[in-house]
Amino acid sequence: MLWRPEDRLLYEYDGLSSRRVPDAVAFPRSTEDVTEIVKLARREKVPVIARGAGTGLSGGAVVTEGGIVVSFARMKKILEIDIPNQRARVQPGVVNLDLSLAVSDVGFYFVPDPSSQKACTIGGNVAENSGGPHTLAYGVTTNHVLGLEVVLDDGRVIRTGGKVWDRPGYDLTGFIVGSEGTLGLVTEITVRLTPKPEAVKTLLAIYERVLDATRTVAAITAGGITPAALEMMDGITLRAIEAATHAGYPLDSAAVLLIEVEGLREAVEEEVEAVEGICRRHAAREVRRARSEEERELLWRGRKNAFGALGRISPNFYVQDGVIPRTRLPAMLEYIAAVGEKHGLLIGNIFHAGDGNLHPLLMFDARDSKQTAKVLVAASEIMARCADLGGSITGEHGVGIEKNELMPLIFSPDDLAMMRRLKEVFNPAGFFNPGKVLPTGKMCGELRIQVGGGA
Amino acid sequence: MIAAVETIQAELAAIVGDSAMSAGPDACRPFAVDGVEPRLVVYPSSAEQVAALLRCASERDLAVVPVRNGTKLGVGNAPRRYDLALSLKSLNRIWHYEPADLTVVVEPGMKLGDFQHFLARDGLWLPLDPRGGARASLGGILAANAAGPLRGRFGGPRDMVLGMKIATGDGKIIKTGGRVVKNVAGYDMAKLLIGSWGTLGVIVEVCFKLFTRPAARRTFVFHLGGLEAARDLRRQILKSPLGPLRMALVDGNAAEIVEGAGTKFETRNSKIETRSSNFELRGSNFEFWLEAGGSQNVLARFARELEELARGASVQMDKRDDATLVWDRIADFVTLVTENSKEAIVLRVPLPLDSSEEFLRMALDETQIRAFVSQPGSGVVTLVLSGEASGGNWPTSAASSVAKLRDLAEKLGGTMAVEHCPAEWKPLIDVWGRPGNDVEIMRQVKAVWDTKGVLSPGRFVGGI
Repeated sequence: MLWRPEDRLLYEYDGLSSRRVPDAVAFPRSTEDVTEIVKLARREKVPVIARGAGTGLSGGAVVTEGGIVVSFARMKKILEIDIPNQRARVQPGVVNLDLSLAVSDVGFYFVPDPSSQKACTIGGNVAENSGGPHTLAYGVTTNHVLGLEVVLDDGRVIRTGGKVWDRPGYDLTGFIVGSEGTLGLVTEITVRLTPKPEAVKTLLAIYERVLDATRTVAAITAGGITPAALEMMDGITLRAIEAATHAGYPLDSAAVLLIEVEGLREAVEEEVEAVEGICRRHAAREVRRARSEEERELLWRGRKNAFGALGRISPNFYVQDGVIPRTRLPAMLEYIAAVGEKHGLLIGNIFHAGDGNLHPLLMFDARDSKQTAKVLVAASEIMARCADLGGSITGEHGVGIEKNELMPLIFSPDDLAMMRRLKEVFNPAGFFNPGKVLPTGKMCGELRIQVGGGA
Repeated sequence: MIAAVETIQAELAAIVGDSAMSAGPDACRPFAVDGVEPRLVVYPSSAEQVAALLRCASERDLAVVPVRNGTKLGVGNAPRRYDLALSLKSLNRIWHYEPADLTVVVEPGMKLGDFQHFLARDGLWLPLDPRGGARASLGGILAANAAGPLRGRFGGPRDMVLGMKIATGDGKIIKTGGRVVKNVAGYDMAKLLIGSWGTLGVIVEVCFKLFTRPAARRTFVFHLGGLEAARDLRRQILKSPLGPLRMALVDGNAAEIVEGAGTKFETRNSKIETRSSNFELRGSNFEFWLEAGGSQNVLARFARELEELARGASVQMDKRDDATLVWDRIADFVTLVTENSKEAIVLRVPLPLDSSEEFLRMALDETQIRAFVSQPGSGVVTLVLSGEASGGNWPTSAASSVAKLRDLAEKLGGTMAVEHCPAEWKPLIDVWGRPGNDVEIMRQVKAVWDTKGVLSPGRFVGGI
């Protein structure tokens, strides 16, 4: 437990912002510890907020009304690795990348790969249903989680799902994944392990016009190719990354696509040819291929360190997370540029383009309250456009306290009422992670945006 | 409130129109579930009509079973009560088809075969080969979370749904998810509906993520002498980087059925006993089917490596350029068996990947096992039992066999559900098996969706 104010202060923040300092921070070592904490919190009527590594970008681990933060930092055991059945059982505090490293020697990995994977925990991934660049071909966290152990509000411990695909009954596992800590505390996770592909090829396609890059994305999808990853970065972002990481990105281009194709050697060779052809037909100035694992890692290091690099060119930035149908990318980018111009804001763009998952980066100086207000207006305009195009207000960062008031953009009062009633089944007193996911009716104008990390 | 049939009929007719409703034994019999017939059949033609019907059902306390083609109606328990069959056959339209985005919004009454045919024009497909095959409706596939051998490679329905609209038991239309491939806004309520067997709500619209069809396909058939050989082959293939589209292991009887060479179950009234004197399953011939997909270069690689595997194991292997029909019959094995043999019991046993052969080895000691199809890519085994060895006590001995096989499956970390058995034996046989300690939550979830308990009452696990 941590009680001293200076210790508790550290647990005020996550990757998005902060609200309040928790009243206490607990570090359980076992499911039994978690059960005791929950029973105590229930008796004392104080909120319980689950926390992994605090890398989340929607305020999921932020304390809204005080209460106990349950940090899973000491529940980080890999309980079982079962290669013949392609499964692993882990505690929620296991770091995402550590699981992949633990099974790497035998040729397996855990698919979801958020940019924060060196720090973020699998428990956090489960809460947020995290994605990452490589989920385009293989799906997000929910497609790789088969079973959970969950402590409910009265201290009951339930097990949902398991190592096999089907258990009789409703898919509670699938419902709990992505519920952002509002239904219970997950204390154990059964995941799928995936064999590593035989061949991987990475391309960097360089463009003079953003439009040509976005059209390439649509053409690759329409061409029947599903790359393992298909990322886009615009000129503003590129230059910031290059200054920080020296990944070899061209400084004078308008946009690049980072494309990775994996699978059987024969298939990869053919797809790389096809992808390169599509890029060139859409006016790519140059298409580079990574010739070695070092070159490949360098290209990815630039992408994965993008958010950190942006800190060099702007005191603060706000990373958004919208989704649109992939074919609307060209129109959406024009719209984002227009929003930036209207409000006089610099907006960089870094997308999981293959999924239609946008991360516009709105740059500002938090010391300037007028600019901060403009950023929030611009961000909500971008979100509204995503919703209008049939998209979503979050693709992988979650709703948290960032977007709960925006939920009515895409859900009706009936939809939200149903979600609320389902939440009450698991969390009737509302003391797990209060104020998250569902609208509270209060607009959160006071959102204090920090320099973010990101996926 | 129990109202006279006439009153109810008038209310329902006001929703769907007279021509979209029928009554009487002839109209109702095809919708019977385990011999329980509804009083009325309604054919709504829109999501709003479905919602209005359910609202009326909840007010009038009418028990409703949603149905399309009925390919899986025999699964689960008989409904505790059953007033209204809600046929989804008129909800079969496609909305928002975006081939370039690989997404489509479609209504639940569309049959999988028609849907695949529609998608094939653009070189797309939904990689599902569930029980019921082409005749299975999309709504039924979702309600059953039904998936066949393609699951090992592509996942199941739960991995392909991007969003849904659902009519709840009390007649509200609820949306979850959306039309984009990545979305974490709000609770993923679609997961609850997928595999809920019509007990939570009626899916009135679904958005699927689509896939590109493989450029070409080829099927390879290994002729194996035993389960150890099957296990070794499966392990080698899963360890290799090949990644087949699908795999199936069948015994000699199942092979005859799926290859369409007549069936041991072809006679009505299940005279299986008379044809089975020379039946010997253990140690007999097994066939291991594998379908590869991709470019010619990829298929050539498969051929090279699989030939090497066959040589190494000293087993015979054939190649088939077009085995679509056989794969369709493998997917629809349960129907092929049960439509001709009402006394057969079919068990579905999902197991950990590496345990299916071990389960089969032990299960085959149960003499009543007559045929099986196993999916080595996903660990799901489908077993057929019949009463040959049990004389007049077949139902009782079947019940004990089912219990024994269930124990065995659970010991290996799996589960078991009865996919088919004669309705009158269901009181003796536990169809779904023991629910976990999350069943209480499931009951509460059911009460949220279906406040009056009118949807498929009693059909699901734990009496839900």
